[in-house]
Amino acid sequence: MSYKIPMGPYHPGLEEPYKLNMICEGETVQDAELNIGFNFRGMEHLAETRNYYQVIALMERVCGICSFIHTLTLCQTMEKLTGLEAPPRAKYIRVVMAELERLHSHVLWAGVAAKLMGFKTMFMSCFALREKVMDVLQAISGNRVNYSMNRIGGVNRDIDDPTSLLPLIDELESAMNKTIIPIFTTSSTALSRCAGVGILAHDKAVSCGVVGPMARASGINQDLRRDAPYAAYAEMEFNVPVEPAGDVKARLLVRALEILESCKILRQALTKMPSGEISVGGDKFPFETGTAACRVEAPRGEVIYSVSWKAGSRNPARVHVRTPTFVNMPAVRWMVQGARLADTPLIQASIDPCYSCTDR
Amino acid sequence: MIALETLHQKLGLAEPGAESRGVFWLNPGDKSLREVTQAMNEIGARFITITAYQLPGDEGFRLEYHWDLDGCLLGLPFQITGKSIDSIFDICEAADWIEREIHEEYAIDFAGRQYEPLLLRATDTIGVNLREEVKK
Repeated sequence: MSYKIPMGPYHPGLEEPYKLNMICEGETVQDAELNIGFNFRGMEHLAETRNYYQVIALMERVCGICSFIHTLTLCQTMEKLTGLEAPPRAKYIRVVMAELERLHSHVLWAGVAAKLMGFKTMFMSCFALREKVMDVLQAISGNRVNYSMNRIGGVNRDIDDPTSLLPLIDELESAMNKTIIPIFTTSSTALSRCAGVGILAHDKAVSCGVVGPMARASGINQDLRRDAPYAAYAEMEFNVPVEPAGDVKARLLVRALEILESCKILRQALTKMPSGEISVGGDKFPFETGTAACRVEAPRGEVIYSVSWKAGSRNPARVHVRTPTFVNMPAVRWMVQGARLADTPLIQASIDPCYSCTDR
Repeated sequence: MIALETLHQKLGLAEPGAESRGVFWLNPGDKSLREVTQAMNEIGARFITITAYQLPGDEGFRLEYHWDLDGCLLGLPFQITGKSIDSIFDICEAADWIEREIHEEYAIDFAGRQYEPLLLRATDTIGVNLREEVKK
């Protein structure tokens, strides 16, 4: 006999609201229905009522983890509508902030995943590492969550001594290489919970159009930093980790390897950062009538902003945001089918969902 | 890798596309949305999203469909004068949630599919939030 188990809107592993109704036979999940929108904020509508300064502050609040990425994508889109281009130093600062945010997001996720595996020591280790990254973000921007770094035509704050951040990168890379990656890839606790669990096959991943580490863990070799470079990514050398297995272990491994690649990018950006101004364009911006779009590789995958403007207006006519969780989440239905009920919190967490983004 | 100059031929479109502000725009001409979607599937393009715009007065809506092809952002605009356009959900699974969201935000009907349960909110009202006459 089948029965339905509702999980959420208060999730057992993630402090964000959504609901998964699972149809089970015994301990095995047969199918699932997803419900989101519990905290839908109508930010796309709000954006139409904000001027070009206010809209940046508003869209920074789409996500509490990748707030920098949202303003980066929005500002790059608005730069296309104003004909401005950020100066080289600003592009490098944007890369530094984006990669620090990726480190912060991935290490946080590794901690949450460890907690859901019942691996509390690893959770504490990951969060201790995350604190160091947060300290650097705060030192650069003065803030831990909403950094207020981006503006149309560049960034608001400079990094006075970029090379002073290099010891942190060394420390983080060492901790990942010596502790976190070996434990996640060899410990029986991690392997028994992750290997062969929550599989998203390559074909299904392509069909669902999933993005970011979730796509790369199902063998899809895509990363906008390499395929459609923005900011100063065209000048960085890095690899894009891809794993074919499509299970929780593959998603964990892709993110762990991406932390090492982020360290590599940060080291290049900090040592090669050119001197010069950090913004152009002054205080008033002449917007052209039309539509522009821009994409950025956020920690969870591709974010796209489509912005429409009418010349002479201070407010956008339309701002559309497509966040990575919005496309990754529907695939959870296929990932939990055939899984043990006890594995489903970890499977859901393995996509690194963000309902703040989804309920924008 | 398909050259952008010849992409319109691969998709069966009459006119070549052109880049504007980050998007390589293609004109669907007399091709239907479903025909274009099938062609996109055949060349291995990845569906990204749909952006809806309400046009002034009774002009209807403009829906911009976006795909990714080898890192290039493709855009195809479709204008609808009524309240309905064909759904592509059955041939492009990735379009499911965005069709549901636009249906709820603008009350546009994507013909040939079911919507329940509502994706974004727990009321029966659709067309709230972004549709002009409801906003007023």
